[in-house]
Amino acid sequence: MTTFYGLPGAEAFWHWTTLVHFLLVALAGGTAFYTAVLGIRRSESARGLAWLALAFIVLDLFMLWAESPARFRFSHVWLFLSFEPASAIWWGAWGLATSALMLLLLALGLGPARFWAGVLALSSAVVLAYPGYALAANAARPLWDHLLLAFFPASGLLLALAVLVWLRPAEEAAPWLQVAALASLALAALYPVALASGGADARLAFALWLRGWGWFLLGGLLLFLAAFLARRVPALAGVCALAGAFVLRSWIVEQGQHSLFVHGF
Amino acid sequence: MARYAMLIDLAACVGCAACAAACVLENEAPPGHNRLWIRQRELGAFPDVTVEYRPEQCLHCEHPPCVPVCPTGASHQTEDGLVLVRAERCIACAACIAACPYDARFMNPAGYVDKCTFCEHRVARGEDPACVETCPTGCRVFGDLDDPESPLHAWLTEAKRVDVLRPEMGTAPKLLYLNTPSKRGLANHESEVES
Repeated sequence: MTTFYGLPGAEAFWHWTTLVHFLLVALAGGTAFYTAVLGIRRSESARGLAWLALAFIVLDLFMLWAESPARFRFSHVWLFLSFEPASAIWWGAWGLATSALMLLLLALGLGPARFWAGVLALSSAVVLAYPGYALAANAARPLWDHLLLAFFPASGLLLALAVLVWLRPAEEAAPWLQVAALASLALAALYPVALASGGADARLAFALWLRGWGWFLLGGLLLFLAAFLARRVPALAGVCALAGAFVLRSWIVEQGQHSLFVHGF
Repeated sequence: MARYAMLIDLAACVGCAACAAACVLENEAPPGHNRLWIRQRELGAFPDVTVEYRPEQCLHCEHPPCVPVCPTGASHQTEDGLVLVRAERCIACAACIAACPYDARFMNPAGYVDKCTFCEHRVARGEDPACVETCPTGCRVFGDLDDPESPLHAWLTEAKRVDVLRPEMGTAPKLLYLNTPSKRGLANHESEVES
């Protein structure tokens, strides 16, 4: 039996607001990336879509500010006054700021639109990728496996496409939705395999995953339906993709943060 | 530059928690949070049972995983090897809390991440950390690993065994445990321990 006098810092450090941030940042990054592709192809619709991506970024930043215990200390300015390239969040901050600037220029029609779209493609890819990097960097949390480096960008793009399939002509976004859903489904299926074949905590990580296998089954089924319905009933496929990707990402973020050290070691 | 470290002789620790109380008083830790706590484990099976009292806190690792993940440089390592947080730079993103393998950090309600500093304000005055000074059994010692005159070296030489928490993490902690009650040291799970 293990007991404590005083307590280690083992409580959850991220809350439901963080799960909403992980949703909003995916919508922002994915919509910005789609806008960039349209911009590179010189599509007229890129300007309109840029406003939507910008709205997602503003909403996400407001959410981050509102939920931060440091919101009235305004220390976030240090994100842009520091050089910390090993930190995923530092990259995320610059990715969001650069994407917001490029989107504004595209939306207002100022300057060389195709060049701005090229920069936006890079910065929005950073926005899509950094949440997975922020999780996978933590060797101390065995559920946050390196596979998340691929799963979070794929499922992030899927979340954005799930919204775009309602707003755009279906034939444009639906093929992308199908590919993103299949990629996310394949990575979700690989996830328990990656956990079981991981490092020192592999057995423990797989045991933790087994406690949530039902959520994975539900999420996987929804992603399968999204891929199956993408070209048949795109609107319904969008609903399935949104729900499936949100369930999987939220479970990984929420469950992965719980301390193993306080209980087992 | 110094390379500060702390040793705790678990054979001498009686789990009185005077160190934890001294830490709260010295550093004014907010209610409900601790920079230092005591883990009590019952090891083995009757009749070969032993109890281990293990004080835990930030280990001031040589390779701290909490430092590179910090996006503002608030979490940093000093030239003396102490791992500290600049509260005024901290954005409370909790990335360092996630990265710490030892649950040593917590979110201070004032809006920044907090943790053991090895009482760097006392060390700067040439004093020992409060937990070292308070311990009634003298089971703790603090000093400079690079100083051949430091008592750390005598303790390390005389110890029957030396362990660190979770060595598989590769963090090279600078808080070391001497003379663990278990023959297998700081095992990951109680079931792995032989009394």
